[in-house]
Amino acid sequence: MKLLLAEDEPDVQLIARLSLKRAGFQVVTVNNGLEVLERVGEEAPDAILLDWMMPDMDGFETCMRLKADPATKDIPVIFLTAKVQESEVAKALALGAIGCIGKPFDALTLGQQVLTILGK
Amino acid sequence: MSLRGRIFAVIGIMVVAAFIQAGAVVLFEKARNESEQAMMHAEQRFDYQTRMNRVVVELESLQLSYLLTGVPAFRADFDLRWSEYSSLPTLLGQYVDDERDRLALAELDRRLQEWHALVSDLMDRRKQLPDVSKVVQDQTGPPMRQIQNEFDKYQRHDFALLHEEISRASHLNFWNSIVTLALPAVDIVMLLVLVTVLARILLDPLAAIAESARQISGGNFDVRLPPAKRDEIGALVKAFRDMSTAVQRRQRDLTDALSREREISQMYAALRTNAEQESARLQATIATVPAALVILEAPSGRVVLQNAAADMLIGREPDAEADRQLYWESFHASYRDGRHCPIDEWGPRRALRGEVVVGQEMIVKPQDGKTIPILVSAAPLRNDQGAITGAVAAFQDITNLYEVDRLKSEFVSIVSHELRTPLTSIKGSLQLLLAEVPLPDPDHRILMDVALTNTDRLVRIINDILDISKIEAGKLELNRRPYDVQELVNLSIQSVGQIAKGSSVTLTPIVPADMPKVNADPDRTIQAIVNLLSNALKYAPARSDVTIEARPEPPGQVTFSITDKGRGIPPDKLGQLFQKFQQIDGADTRKFRGTGLGLAITKALVEMQGGTVGVTSQVGKGSTFSLTIPVVK
Repeated sequence: MKLLLAEDEPDVQLIARLSLKRAGFQVVTVNNGLEVLERVGEEAPDAILLDWMMPDMDGFETCMRLKADPATKDIPVIFLTAKVQESEVAKALALGAIGCIGKPFDALTLGQQVLTILGK
Repeated sequence: MSLRGRIFAVIGIMVVAAFIQAGAVVLFEKARNESEQAMMHAEQRFDYQTRMNRVVVELESLQLSYLLTGVPAFRADFDLRWSEYSSLPTLLGQYVDDERDRLALAELDRRLQEWHALVSDLMDRRKQLPDVSKVVQDQTGPPMRQIQNEFDKYQRHDFALLHEEISRASHLNFWNSIVTLALPAVDIVMLLVLVTVLARILLDPLAAIAESARQISGGNFDVRLPPAKRDEIGALVKAFRDMSTAVQRRQRDLTDALSREREISQMYAALRTNAEQESARLQATIATVPAALVILEAPSGRVVLQNAAADMLIGREPDAEADRQLYWESFHASYRDGRHCPIDEWGPRRALRGEVVVGQEMIVKPQDGKTIPILVSAAPLRNDQGAITGAVAAFQDITNLYEVDRLKSEFVSIVSHELRTPLTSIKGSLQLLLAEVPLPDPDHRILMDVALTNTDRLVRIINDILDISKIEAGKLELNRRPYDVQELVNLSIQSVGQIAKGSSVTLTPIVPADMPKVNADPDRTIQAIVNLLSNALKYAPARSDVTIEARPEPPGQVTFSITDKGRGIPPDKLGQLFQKFQQIDGADTRKFRGTGLGLAITKALVEMQGGTVGVTSQVGKGSTFSLTIPVVK
């Protein structure tokens, strides 16, 4: 299963990538929303993990654009965010995301959480 | 005896004395009249007696002359004299009062008649008489001498009578003088006595009373009044004394009243000065206080006073009634959540209806388009009777507070985000290391565990700080809905499952069937219960029981009680438990050390839902923490 992970913080990106790899995912990492939009076509991931706050283009806008584009609107989006308040979760779901994983996440169970959200 | 009686007695005595005097005068007058008559009689008698004496002497001389001479003239004279005599005894008799004299006089007359008869006979027979001289000497002489003797005797007695009469008259005159002189004197004396007595019984007390009255009118009530006898003066004295007492009492009352009035007016002046100072102070305060202060009058709601801060914040109310309504509506006041606030719900209007509004947050948009958050406080002004006469309202521009609040929230949010990112790296690294790298030295594993545990704790602290910050900013929104009690308990137990799993403590739920549903935000309620549960698990001794029990009480609520058999909490610490950053020292495990915010958050979450929190504890036996959540109505 191929995941596109957008995270601007290199250390977090590393941990998340290792954690997901450990769970058996194929992980493509990018550093911001713009790169997600650039790479999503060629990578064709099974799901996208989006950090909320990123430079250049944040997760909010990225998610909106992904959902606005018929080519990408069916790819499940999961937010990986430090914003774990109810209002933000609700906002994310309203944008079309299918779930939120709060930071700091559990590196040992991150993959399991993603699978749970994806319903697999 | 009454005064009237005494005066009548004195007058009576005087009347009696006057009658006695009049009687005496009448008696004296009568005696004097009698005496005068007697004297007159005596005088007449003397007159007639002298005439009789002279007539008798002449009769004697004429009979002698005729007898001796026989001259007829003598005889004629004699008869003439006799005829003169014959009326005299009768004339004299009417003036003779003495019986003895009357008899003597009758005897004399009888003898003279006899003598006349004898002499007349002799004179008729003169020519036949042998010896006239002898006849005269023997026959007419002796009876005549006897008659004269008798007459002398009678006259002497009459003189004696006269003498006696004169003496009596003299006596009478003497007493008359005495009476006429003495009676006025007696009258004068009696009058003096009367006047003295009247003065004594009437005027003296009156004078004393008059003097007392003069003293009293001069203000001296310490007066001596005559003793009150049981008469009219006594009654007057008593009445006067009563009046004096009454006047004194009135004067005292008046003096008291005046002094009270003076006190009151001094007090009033002091109060007025005080009030003026207060008023000046108040006006200065109103003018300089940074809040916008407005005083409105009831019932019109018209602004009667506002300070400079109010001028700046809300401007001036227009005079016309219609414009005023528009003016207030032009603020477009809304509540903090954005709902429009009708003009009648506006704080000052509520105050005019008697409500007290404290620190109500409102957003107003005056004409210039700015949005100003303000704090509205308002209270009714009432008069002595409690009727509302107006309202005072204070508007505080809290734009700065809002800004500070916003900055704080932003800061907390950024900090939490910025802290989470490195924590994510640390935690993930540690977890992956622990999972992937074999650590043969147990100490190394323990150290890795410590690092991981404290990372988790730091995350919890950040979460709690975020929660408390939201709660305090009033930004925590609750999503309340009917929720099953059993479900709440189950989910709470599930949340602490990891902690419970790692310890030897048994966690037992006690939830009766047929519990009513509660009106709760499930996430926040579970968070509150979990806070209590994790505390209980932390403090419970090894292999002890922790119970979580739900009960449908008090009425309208469900109580969730979490009981441990830990060391308990000293009574002096119980009160502070639910305050921020309060922790009981000496937790048994380092593994799940708290943030110091759990109970404060629990209390806030429960109270926001209309419930309460509580704790009972016995040192050495354990503690029971409880919270209540209202049931669905």
